[in-house]
Amino acid sequence: MKDIIKIAWRNLWRNRRRTIITASSIFFAIFFAIVMRSFQIGTYKHMVKISIESYLGYLQIQNPDYFDDPSIDNVFEFTLEMLEEITKTVNVKVAVPRIESFALASTGMLSKGVMLTGISPEKEKEMSNPEQKLVHYAVTDKAIEHLQQKIKPDVIELLKIHNNTSFSSAEKLATALDFQTEDSLILQTVLAQTHVASGYLSENDEGVLISDRLSKYLKVSVGDSIILIGQGYQGSSAAGIYPVRGIVKLPSPELDNKLVYMTLGNINTFLGLSEQVTSIAINIENTDEMYKTETVLKQTFENTKTCVKNWEELSPALKQQIESDSVSGILFLVILYVIIFFGIFGTLLMMISERMREFGIMVAIGMKKFKLVLIVVMEMLFLSLIGIFAGMAASVPVILYGYYFPVKLTGEIKDMMIELGMDPVFPFAWFGDYFYIQGVIVFIMILVACIYPVRTILKLNAIEAIRGK
Amino acid sequence: MNVIEVENLVKAYTDLALEVVAVDHVNLTVKKGEFTAIVGPSGSGKTTLLNMIGGLDKPTSGTIRVNNKDITQLNSKELINFRLHNIGFIFQSYNLIPVLTAKENVSFIMEMQGENRKTVDERVSEILTAVGLGDRMNSRPNQLSGGQQQRVAVARAMASRPQFIIADEPTANLDSKTTEKLLDLMEELNEKENITFLFSTHDQRVVNKARRIVVLEDGKVVEDNENIKQ
Ligand SMILES: Nc1ncnc2c1ncn2[C@@H]1O[C@H](COP(=O)(O)OP(=O)(O)OP(=O)(O)O)[C@@H](O)[C@H]1O
Ligand SMILES: [Mg+2]
Repeated sequence: MKDIIKIAWRNLWRNRRRTIITASSIFFAIFFAIVMRSFQIGTYKHMVKISIESYLGYLQIQNPDYFDDPSIDNVFEFTLEMLEEITKTVNVKVAVPRIESFALASTGMLSKGVMLTGISPEKEKEMSNPEQKLVHYAVTDKAIEHLQQKIKPDVIELLKIHNNTSFSSAEKLATALDFQTEDSLILQTVLAQTHVASGYLSENDEGVLISDRLSKYLKVSVGDSIILIGQGYQGSSAAGIYPVRGIVKLPSPELDNKLVYMTLGNINTFLGLSEQVTSIAINIENTDEMYKTETVLKQTFENTKTCVKNWEELSPALKQQIESDSVSGILFLVILYVIIFFGIFGTLLMMISERMREFGIMVAIGMKKFKLVLIVVMEMLFLSLIGIFAGMAASVPVILYGYYFPVKLTGEIKDMMIELGMDPVFPFAWFGDYFYIQGVIVFIMILVACIYPVRTILKLNAIEAIRGK
Repeated sequence: MNVIEVENLVKAYTDLALEVVAVDHVNLTVKKGEFTAIVGPSGSGKTTLLNMIGGLDKPTSGTIRVNNKDITQLNSKELINFRLHNIGFIFQSYNLIPVLTAKENVSFIMEMQGENRKTVDERVSEILTAVGLGDRMNSRPNQLSGGQQQRVAVARAMASRPQFIIADEPTANLDSKTTEKLLDLMEELNEKENITFLFSTHDQRVVNKARRIVVLEDGKVVEDNENIKQ
């Protein structure tokens, strides 16, 4: 066996250049496949995180009719026992009751269709956490104008770059403007001028929180009021005037364009409901066990007038977007691997035809064909393992970097993506199945490619091989 | 004692409906320790005959007995094993495993034959020294001349003292001086170790060295003489 390994290893370096080229092609395929999949999977996870985990919930309890007809008439009776029952379920992280409805928001001059979301302010902190997303500083035309006389032009230039951007904390603003500690006086001036007095909703608040982009569209800020007009429960009409308590910047651009938060009590009054909700949104600990948890919840609520839906049903567009993107990525990899396969196969063909005479002699002097097969297969394994491990090793720093420092688009592409309702941030995925599977695929490919030399050797006729036939 | 007994050996090829009888009812016995040359014009059937005796090819009819064992009855797996343990081969060229050194080429086959480490080590240096390559044991084939490579092949064939050695034109790729040296070496080892040699050749000088000459023509043995010139 030691001899076999020795021969296989030395054979590998007989044609040094060919070996290096073949191993390099495996290296690049593995490296590219891993980096690409990490980028894709990371992006999907991010997409799911910003729209599912931080708003929709992985699972929702709804009135069975609500899905097809999301009207306020399709609500269900909400009780605290229900909430307890859900929270008790294995893998459930948090569950929050909500009422969602559409309404027209107006400031008199401007109006826009909005999504009203009634929440329990305390509970919602564990779900979409609007409090953390409150805008405390916003760079606006007005703020820049005021600052123009007071501070250095280079800071003004920076502010202009960040015009119309909102920040949830002073640190974020300072980082964005590249402030050093010695600039603290200027920073204080800027903070004072850009400050937004956002507050969170109290449990029985009469006011609302509105999303950042919506606030810009409607040109309202904290302290202003908006008029909401909609349809209430069972055809009643709903209207009211609500003070804006705070501005929230939502990570999902789509939601950021249209969301209005109010308390459950407030929206109950607005819509003429009593202790009813449209959904209970649920987040889970382990997303891989979502279907299992869904089944458990379905059993729990079997005989009630509710149903359980997962995010893939609730947001089929996102699911489809991820799937079609993933399929095109995988298709690309398949093409890449097919090319690599033929590269490896070509190497094998040349290797075998070059060595036929040698094989013939070895068999003639009494070498078992099985050993010959072992030499060739081992040689290919060495070759592929070099490429696979080198490719994996090279991808590690790229993944780590992309995980900790996600790709952030800037400029027009960024605006375009936001326009399309997507977040222009692309983090890489942490190491997972996708990382190992590429090596396994190449490994299997090598084994498949080895069928040819194995057959050739097993069928080999020593005399013909020696004669060079 | 007869090492090889060939009886009524026939090998016929049918090529495009044309039948070629490459070996035609050959009878031949080789005794232990003989140094025999098979000669004859090109196409007379030398290679075909040697291949069958060496268990590389199957006859159309007839029997080949090696030490009274009929090898025509063996299947191809048994034949590989039989060759490994009973026959040494020297081919015209490409004899050696290119990635192994001279020493490793010899020890590799001895280890396959199941010899123990100590025996292998001793025998390898003994035989390589005997073929005059004591100082080139760690050279790879591509670092050796054609004649030196053939000498390694002789050493490998003889290493574990097979029943007989088959050499099909072992000197065809060598110049006359190297040919002479190789033959002297083979003859010397044949005498010293009492190993049976059966080789084919075109070369008159090689013929002169042989102690027995079997002449083939059109697949038939037409002459079988002790070499009187010697
Ligand atoms: N595989 C084969 N198929 C058909 N005919 C063959 C085959 N091998 C050998 N022959 C024929 O058998 C005859 C004997 O060939 P062989 O190679 O044994 O001759 P040889 O004496 O070794 O010749 P040379 O001195 O040229 O090596 C030739 O006529 C050859 O054409
Ligand atoms: Mg011949």
